[in-house]
Amino acid sequence: MTTPAQHKGTPAQPPVLHIAGIGPCLGRVAAVAANTLREAGRARLFYGVLGAAVLLLAFSLVLSDLALVDQKARLVQSFGMAAIPLVGAVSATLLGVVLLHKEIDKKTLYAILPKPIRRSEFVLGKFTGLAVLLGLQLAALVLCWWPVLVMRGGALTPALGRAIGLCLFELWLVTAVAMFFSALTRPVLSGVFTLGVLVVGRSNYVIADLLGANKGVFVEVPAMRALGKVLVAVVPDLSTFAVADPVLHGWSVPWDYFAAAAGYGLSWTVLFLVGAVFLFERRDLT
Amino acid sequence: MVDPTPDAAPPVLELQHLRKTFRVGFWAKKVPAVRDVSLALQAGESLGYLGPNGSGKTTSIKCLLGLVVPTGGHARLFGRPASDPHARARVGYLPESPYFYDYLTPTEVLDYVGKLYGLAAADRSRRTRELLGVVGLDEAARRPLRGFSKGMLQRVGIAQSLVADPQLLIWDEPLSGLDPMGRKEVRDLMVELRRQGKSLFFSSHVLGDIEALCDAVCILDRGVAVAQGHLSELLRPDALESEAVLGMSAQTEAAMLALRALPEATVTLTPTGVRVVLPTAAVAALCRAVADLGLDLRELSARRDSLEELFLRKAVARGPEAAA
Ligand SMILES: Nc1ncnc2c1ncn2[C@@H]1O[C@H](COP(=O)(O)OP(=O)(O)OP(=O)(O)O)[C@@H](O)[C@H]1O
Ligand SMILES: [Mg+2]
Repeated sequence: MTTPAQHKGTPAQPPVLHIAGIGPCLGRVAAVAANTLREAGRARLFYGVLGAAVLLLAFSLVLSDLALVDQKARLVQSFGMAAIPLVGAVSATLLGVVLLHKEIDKKTLYAILPKPIRRSEFVLGKFTGLAVLLGLQLAALVLCWWPVLVMRGGALTPALGRAIGLCLFELWLVTAVAMFFSALTRPVLSGVFTLGVLVVGRSNYVIADLLGANKGVFVEVPAMRALGKVLVAVVPDLSTFAVADPVLHGWSVPWDYFAAAAGYGLSWTVLFLVGAVFLFERRDLT
Repeated sequence: MVDPTPDAAPPVLELQHLRKTFRVGFWAKKVPAVRDVSLALQAGESLGYLGPNGSGKTTSIKCLLGLVVPTGGHARLFGRPASDPHARARVGYLPESPYFYDYLTPTEVLDYVGKLYGLAAADRSRRTRELLGVVGLDEAARRPLRGFSKGMLQRVGIAQSLVADPQLLIWDEPLSGLDPMGRKEVRDLMVELRRQGKSLFFSSHVLGDIEALCDAVCILDRGVAVAQGHLSELLRPDALESEAVLGMSAQTEAAMLALRALPEATVTLTPTGVRVVLPTAAVAALCRAVADLGLDLRELSARRDSLEELFLRKAVARGPEAAA
């Protein structure tokens, strides 16, 4: 205790608090987001995932040696467009499920939430941090993949760029879903639920098609039909963002499609975040 | 529990018939943690929160800070509900066993906390420097918390509760985990904060600390406030018992018999003489006996009711039937 007694614990000039209004609110969200980024930046797991992804892309270089000359670029392209969203989706699920739960489990929230911060601001800050993190991860992966693609005679076309852009909206949506479930239940279970949404969301259009057909369980068994309808309605259609195949066949991903898909993704993201806040605000932290 | 203030300033902290029942397990079995606690703390006062393990101190403190939603009753800070961030802006909270992000250094923790209070960058770095000095962590300021000892974490916890120079401090067992030097330093800090007019609400198992630092206490037992008030009222100064120490000459047969014959006297032999504990009303009789037998009276003192005795009487003596 080195300070003079009259200053012990009390500052010479009292600090000025900024609590009310939109500016301080955004400041708190940014503080939580920055801390989330810092946490990931100091976690080994994150670098592990990143390293694995880089290895995977290097593997595509080796793999493409086996392909016919005119197929090499195609192979690297389709491999990358499969691997990059997959790595992203796994990261988004893991991070979304683990990070919120970890704060509760390690009791770090006890020191943060009694500060003048709303729980909604905390959830939003966590999400923002994760969203930025996933964006950085996606950028890093694309930066590793691009040279491989060029080396094998391919190019990062604008259509391919937009396809990758759509991946990001899907990752944000998956993060929001993961946070929603992690505000609801335990990590393993919320991971399973999030994966369920991923699988059903990716094959949403299949179920919709089956419902429209005039044969099969979805038509003949009323219970299955009801279930199918509910699934199609409540699970976002993630195939909206999976445009790798059409792009490989020359589709250009027009801007109006891109904008509509982005809007679709963001709407669902907001919806799940609102749900996550709703659940989280009612939760006892003990 | 405290004198009603004539002006309308609300208490800095107030619990009204607080109740919290947890639901645990698959069948949502009810676990009552807090049954009925009402208390208030006026600005500038300090209130000690006592009770056996599991009596609901931490739970009721969490209700005050909005971490836990009460099942019934109210928890207010500065007259506002605990869920209001503006009310919490003037409160510094130290959690029971402080946990922080272990990948951060104390400097980064204090900076992060400062951001949550909306402090400007200059204020944050000044406060961080000041407080790390106050809690004696200058040396460890740039090491991640991962390797910190319990007492060091406790110091980080105390520092982070003071970042925004709050009016009210809610500290859950501030003196646990500290070495003797640390305890003294934190006690001194608490005295100093009181001198500066801060309000203090803290729980502790060390009754001596509470007695030395508090105006008032609230004793909790199995979720119910069983005693509360100013220490001066609770610990009756008009002591009911007195204690006398007599010299070796009192150890003769006749003297012992005469002393034992005094009303309600407890006579014990000690290495240096004889100790007599008896009702204060009987002191006159004791003095007469001392004069008659020509004994050597070395000490005569009133035995004040200690906080420890009060605690045992109120909390433990309630017996197990009260738990039903
Ligand atoms: N999340 C929870 N779920 C179920 N019961 C709980 C929970 N948290 C606390 N309790 C119960 O509530 C009661 C009060 O606990 P609390 O932690 O408030 O006690 P305390 O007075 O702070 O004890 P200590 O002196 O040991 O810190 C205990 O019986 C405890 O088991
Ligand atoms: Mg406790």
